[in-house]
Amino acid sequence: MRTSRTLGLVMIAPAAIMIFLFFLMPVMLTAIFAMTNMSTATGISGGAWQVTQGAINRLKTDMPELATGIAEPRFVIDEEGLAALEGLKLKAGFTTELRASHMGEVFPSRREAERVIKALKDRPSTREVKQISDLFNRSVLNTRFETRDDLMASLKKLGFTLTPAEQETVSKATYTGWVWTAENFRILANSPDMAQIFLNTAFYVSVTLLLFNVTYALFLAITTHYMPASTASVFRAIWLLPRITPVVIYVLLWKWLTWDSGFISMFMGQFGYPPKNYLLDSAYNAWFFVILINGFIGASMGMLVFSSAIKAIPQTQFHASEVDGASRWQQVRHIILPQLRWPILFVTCYQTLSLLASFNEILLSTRGGPGKATEVWSLAAFHTALNNYTGNLEYGLGAAMALVLVVVGIVLSLIYLRIFRYDTLISKPLIED
Amino acid sequence: MRILLDKFSKSFGSTKVIEDMELEVGSGEMLALLGPSGCGKSTTLFAVCGIHRPTSGRILFGDRDVTNLPSQERNVGVVFQSYALYPHMTVEENIGFPLMVKRVAAADIKKQVADIAALVHIADLLGRRPAQLSGGQQQRVALARALIRRPDVLLLDEPLANLDAKLRLEMRSEIRRLQKETGITAILVTHDQVEAMSMCDRIAIMKSGEIVQIATPSQMYNDPRTSFVASFLGNPPISFLKGRAEQGAFVLGENGLRLPLSALSGIPDGTSVSLGVRPEHFGTTGGIPIDGKVVFAETQGRENLYDVVLPDGSVLRSIQPVRDDVKMGDSVRWNLDSASAFVFAEDGRRL
Repeated sequence: MRTSRTLGLVMIAPAAIMIFLFFLMPVMLTAIFAMTNMSTATGISGGAWQVTQGAINRLKTDMPELATGIAEPRFVIDEEGLAALEGLKLKAGFTTELRASHMGEVFPSRREAERVIKALKDRPSTREVKQISDLFNRSVLNTRFETRDDLMASLKKLGFTLTPAEQETVSKATYTGWVWTAENFRILANSPDMAQIFLNTAFYVSVTLLLFNVTYALFLAITTHYMPASTASVFRAIWLLPRITPVVIYVLLWKWLTWDSGFISMFMGQFGYPPKNYLLDSAYNAWFFVILINGFIGASMGMLVFSSAIKAIPQTQFHASEVDGASRWQQVRHIILPQLRWPILFVTCYQTLSLLASFNEILLSTRGGPGKATEVWSLAAFHTALNNYTGNLEYGLGAAMALVLVVVGIVLSLIYLRIFRYDTLISKPLIED
Repeated sequence: MRILLDKFSKSFGSTKVIEDMELEVGSGEMLALLGPSGCGKSTTLFAVCGIHRPTSGRILFGDRDVTNLPSQERNVGVVFQSYALYPHMTVEENIGFPLMVKRVAAADIKKQVADIAALVHIADLLGRRPAQLSGGQQQRVALARALIRRPDVLLLDEPLANLDAKLRLEMRSEIRRLQKETGITAILVTHDQVEAMSMCDRIAIMKSGEIVQIATPSQMYNDPRTSFVASFLGNPPISFLKGRAEQGAFVLGENGLRLPLSALSGIPDGTSVSLGVRPEHFGTTGGIPIDGKVVFAETQGRENLYDVVLPDGSVLRSIQPVRDDVKMGDSVRWNLDSASAFVFAEDGRRL
């Protein structure tokens, strides 16, 4: 046994436990939720069996006879009802006669049941007939059964004899709790809304990433590298502001800029344009600002990473390349960029994942609007599962959406590692075990 | 190509590093800028290659004034102390880089790289990256990269400082061979006098931003202008005795040693002077016997090195063919070759 290997495992153990608890567990739970139809309606604990109007509607296609049957009240002369009747202390003859001549009879409607009761020898009054018939009402409509067997027993008592397959159908239609299902993924795959949201996300992530988080960040890092140190640090500090400002305030500043009484409106007013909300007045504008808002934050992060990576290149390499005759552009192209491969990979990977997963800036600025123009995947997942107008929060569908994000993130990371040839970036450890 | 520095000055902020330096390097000559660290020799080199701009003065390559030209337009080759190889490029790409940025055709680059690689004996390493090379191989790559575009001037900034002793010896002659073969004008910056003496046609010895003396190695060794020059050249180094002049003789201590020296005629009595004695001029041969005690003995294989303390406490160094009859603590009476000794005034000037 190599001791260094064991030691390595021991030392990584706390981190591994943390990773398991805080990274893998949530993903696993998300995956589990994604396979259910949990929502506000079903709750997250178990459910019950209830013959609601909705359940009857569901049954109408498969078992029309049963559906109409259980939709109506049913009356059954049974021991339970008789006992209750005795408790009412009416004439004893009612009970005796019903037990003797009508025990076990099932009446499909109240009228038929009451006809029999009225015909009893002791002649109950109309009020009594009503009272008695109530005791034998065995309708299942809107009754809640705690177990499946209760429901089936009731149905049997009512005279519906069901095959196991039919029982299964009824059980499914009447169950109010959540069930395992792959329906969420079918919705994701087939809904045109989802396709639109997916395209929105792809557009948002790729444009922000390419224009700002990588290209603009590189531009800032390289230009500040060639500036005198003091100018460069002022410049970098300014570009850091979007990142260090609390996001709520940062987005609020953008809103001040774009509101119909904001800076842009005031400025354009000078030229006779009527004030308008530039943030939300068209999908085009909304995207423009959403990408700027996120891009400025992302650019500062990339700038920091790239600047320090450029600083790490020995000064003599710049001297040497100048002496070798390289122009500034050639220096950037042949000396700086090749040595920034690793930081660029890191920033691309990191920012892709963070753009995919974070929606706070969009939520604070456009809320996905106007309409659903700037609704991106993670925001849609949030809206579906945790916060929406109708109030029925679909946890299962939302989890499925989140799971798609996880899968997309992993796939993209693997593709990036391939493109940047990760294997050539890492060197073998010098310590052999 | 001749290089001329005319009234060259360089300061960084308020720190003046070099003031009004005059230096001429002849065409095809190899000149060493020798001096202790911080004397401004690297600054001078960087000014010649254009990394630093002079504060004032002119720099001429041949008759062309390059003072305000950027490095890119000067056609110089530089070997940096750290070699400054580009880690992400192969040896071939590193050497070909100066041509690549000039947009020379790829086939031409390949051919020239192969030629120069053969010249510096690294033809079989072209596919490797710098990290896969030894120090000496990296050194050769740096040299090849500096030479490939046939620069007017080759500048070497402590090129041997990072090599082990044996390799240093080898590269010393190698660089000299290449410089001779290509006939290029070269400036070598070093703090190692052995390097300077063995590789260069002339040495410019520098101290705090000034050139103290320019001469061929042997002239400088045999005829140093100041005590600083004398102390910088020679290994093991020269030793100094502090005394005074008295009737054309050097006198050490109150009733001590008395050395008649021609250089001291005409110097007023009582003037403080110092006597520089190289280790090879104190030993078994020579005119004036001196008593002392061996306090340090070191064998260098072919020769032995001794430190001898004189009665007044000053130390003389002696180098002699190997002998095993003298040990540490022995009292000896060895002779000093007074004709070869240098006399310096108190300010270091040679008398």
